[in-house]
Amino acid sequence: MVKKWVEKWLKSRKIKAESEYDEAKREFEMAMGKPSITIKVEIPTGFEDLRVEFLSLEKDERFLEEVKDLVKKRLAPKRPRQS
Amino acid sequence: MNPTQMIFILIYLLTILISVTRIVPMSVAALVGALLTAWFGLQYNVFSYEQASGFIDMRLIGLLIGVMIVVEVAQRSGLFRFGALYAIRASKGNPARLFISICVVSAAVSMFLSDTTAMFIMAAATVTITKLLDYDPIPYVLSTAIMVNLSGTSTLIGSEGNMIIGVGTGMSFTDFINYLTICEVILWGLTIFALYMLFKSRLGEKKVLPKYDPWESVENKKLFYRSTLVLVLLIVLFLTLENLGVGPEAVALGCAILALVLSGLDPTEIFKGLDWETVFFIAGFMFVVGGLERTGILNDVSTQLSQLAGGNPLKATMATLWLSGLVSIVVSNIAVALTFIPIITGVSSLNSAAVRSALVLGTNLGGATTPLSGEVCMMTVGTLKREGVSLSFSEFTKAGLTTTMIQLGFASLYLILRFGLGV
Repeated sequence: MVKKWVEKWLKSRKIKAESEYDEAKREFEMAMGKPSITIKVEIPTGFEDLRVEFLSLEKDERFLEEVKDLVKKRLAPKRPRQS
Repeated sequence: MNPTQMIFILIYLLTILISVTRIVPMSVAALVGALLTAWFGLQYNVFSYEQASGFIDMRLIGLLIGVMIVVEVAQRSGLFRFGALYAIRASKGNPARLFISICVVSAAVSMFLSDTTAMFIMAAATVTITKLLDYDPIPYVLSTAIMVNLSGTSTLIGSEGNMIIGVGTGMSFTDFINYLTICEVILWGLTIFALYMLFKSRLGEKKVLPKYDPWESVENKKLFYRSTLVLVLLIVLFLTLENLGVGPEAVALGCAILALVLSGLDPTEIFKGLDWETVFFIAGFMFVVGGLERTGILNDVSTQLSQLAGGNPLKATMATLWLSGLVSIVVSNIAVALTFIPIITGVSSLNSAAVRSALVLGTNLGGATTPLSGEVCMMTVGTLKREGVSLSFSEFTKAGLTTTMIQLGFASLYLILRFGLGV
């Protein structure tokens, strides 16, 4: 029981430390590296029966490529024209 | 030694052992130690309830919390991140300059932040830039840890250990600066040089840095200016403290209130961000040492040390420096500082500026020798492991032991020259 308690405590400390480090690292990546955005998308109304399929989109590479293309499409017109 | 003294020594050693092995949080270990001290102390009439209530120095707790609030507000403003980004950009992609920039800014950030928070920020900055430039992160992250540990030796608020020694022995902010600034500056230079020589071949080739503006990382410019102003005010007031007629805790708490008012941040969030683990560890351990002191053991140790030194200030200073430095390799510098204060203040021949400065140096310099020397060292290994890089015990110890021995060796020489010992 004590061993379990110790393991649980060590794990909780690790999670706290890791989350603080990840947060700090994300801020530096945003400043120096490639910035990223996180968007929350809810399952569309009428598609509740496709819950599993909806959640799997998060790791669907084809879907992510399509989102990237959408970002490019949105950003391209905002680039100032070179004379 | 009588049975009562043995019980208190056992409680003290158990508290140290549990906090070193981290079986339970350090704060819990110290608080359980305090509870046992209180129970046995009152049971065996070692101290009265009124005497026990004075074991925890509330001035120290006030100073700790005040400084923590000011620094927490500054951290939330992005001040330290801005400093790190600025220093990295200033290196212009030259690996030697990047290495030196990271070392210097790690030490500078750690002068204000707690070592663990400074390490979170600087490890994140270092890992990000070394990844972007495809450099080996080990030399950079390991050097960051060693510089974070070294820094803050010459200021009252540079580390928790310094605050304990300052309040406990009456060393003021200006005393710290007068006695130790030159030593710390030279220690920075020596340590960076030693680390550079150790890692020179592993720093990487010159590369083009990504273009960025550090100023863009500051989201709330008003908060940035205001928190910087309060931080500067805190330092100015510490420097002029003798004219104010109040203790450092009053200045720290006053500035903390000002920071809370000016920042406009949610105080609940600020309070949540404080390092309560350290505050409760210090309070609990102070109580354990207070009980131990009442048994007369620490006074005996103090008298014996004084006799061993034979009234020779050189021997007393060197013994304090090396003993506190070597014990700090394994035990938290907070515990070392709290234990040494009653010993050096117990006998007047030990209570000199040289011995007090030796204690400050000893407790600050031993903390980054092996991966197990403290939280910052463990974080270094953990951070690298998370990035898929393995740092061996021997590789860490090689750099840690080399720099610790250089630092303690130079500190010995400095103390002899600065205080004219043995002359």
